[in-house]
Amino acid sequence: MSSDDNDLIVNRAIDELRRLPPLDRDAVDRVARAAAAARVSPADGEALMERRRMRSMRIWSAVALASAAAVAGFVAGELRPSRMQTPQTAGTPVSGKSAMTLRPVANHPSEIVAIPQPFMFEHKSARRVAIVGDFNNWDPKANAMVRDASGLWSTILPIMPGRHLFGFIVDDSVFTLDPRKPKARDPDLGSEGSVLMVGRP
Amino acid sequence: MQRSAPPKTAVLDPTTISRAKLGDIDAFTAIVEAYHPRCMRFARAMLRNIDDAEDMVQEGFVRVYRALPRYEERQRFESWLFQILGNVCRTANTVHRREVSRRIEDDGALERVASHDEPSRAFDHEWGEAVRKALAEVPDYNREIFLLHYIEGFGYDEIERMTGVKQSALKMRVKRASDLLRSLLAKEANT
Repeated sequence: MSSDDNDLIVNRAIDELRRLPPLDRDAVDRVARAAAAARVSPADGEALMERRRMRSMRIWSAVALASAAAVAGFVAGELRPSRMQTPQTAGTPVSGKSAMTLRPVANHPSEIVAIPQPFMFEHKSARRVAIVGDFNNWDPKANAMVRDASGLWSTILPIMPGRHLFGFIVDDSVFTLDPRKPKARDPDLGSEGSVLMVGRP
Repeated sequence: MQRSAPPKTAVLDPTTISRAKLGDIDAFTAIVEAYHPRCMRFARAMLRNIDDAEDMVQEGFVRVYRALPRYEERQRFESWLFQILGNVCRTANTVHRREVSRRIEDDGALERVASHDEPSRAFDHEWGEAVRKALAEVPDYNREIFLLHYIEGFGYDEIERMTGVKQSALKMRVKRASDLLRSLLAKEANT
């Protein structure tokens, strides 16, 4: 069999695979309904934010508890009598340093709160700028920014501790990253977002 | 191998995508109408379980709709759409493989597993069935690039941007897919 014959076979296969199925209008309607249902209403957005807040709280609670346990372990180690200590010193009252009481940090979900985060974006010719991110479900109508006389757009939003992706929507159409922040690729959608780290792990 | 360009998708009004980005569901429906047949063709060829094609296409479009505010118009819309649909199909194939593997472990139902890779019922003639059966033999990572290039008409530079895979590797994958298809279909073509 010649190479032309070989190409003929693959070309025939390609022609076969290129056959388009007919447009299924019922399927299109189902897709449109599913998309409309997936659209986030303000109420849905609140519920989503609440779920995200609770999930974030659980993670940060675990981190806080682990930190508290580590501190407690360290202090307990300090308090434990040394093997080299004599019986007399081991029995003496603890010093002022070791008598201090431990104060756990944020060991209850209710103690973990959103932290105000300033966002700034310079764009002199923009007529509107909104901030979008996973914290507002990428809703361009949720958080408009305010322009000052120099063309600097800004806003302050309460953001839960953790890692977030965000960007700016300029004039309702152009998605722009924050040039001052590192960027990361959204694993699901392929597009990039600016990375915001809130709080300390 | 030289191929003619695949047929173009119906041209959308340039403002349609902008309106869809603002949440206009009618504009989004126009986008779905324009791309649904191509997406179905791609999903049927990509998925190990073709019965999932319609669901996966729907899932892809819903993801597109939710992510539209982040769509950057300097990227071609259809390459962004197929990038998302490719992700959905790859995930579905991974889940399908796990399920198949579990079934084999659970009850050794090899016959049922084989039936999942049966040719599409949509292709009712022998050559069509042979092509689909041969395509199912091509590994997913080669098949996706073959489909994007030869069936959906994306250039290697664009596929490189979509997948992050270098052009030389993409060409090798397409060649391997073509070679396998050729060898599997040679006998069929001679009959």
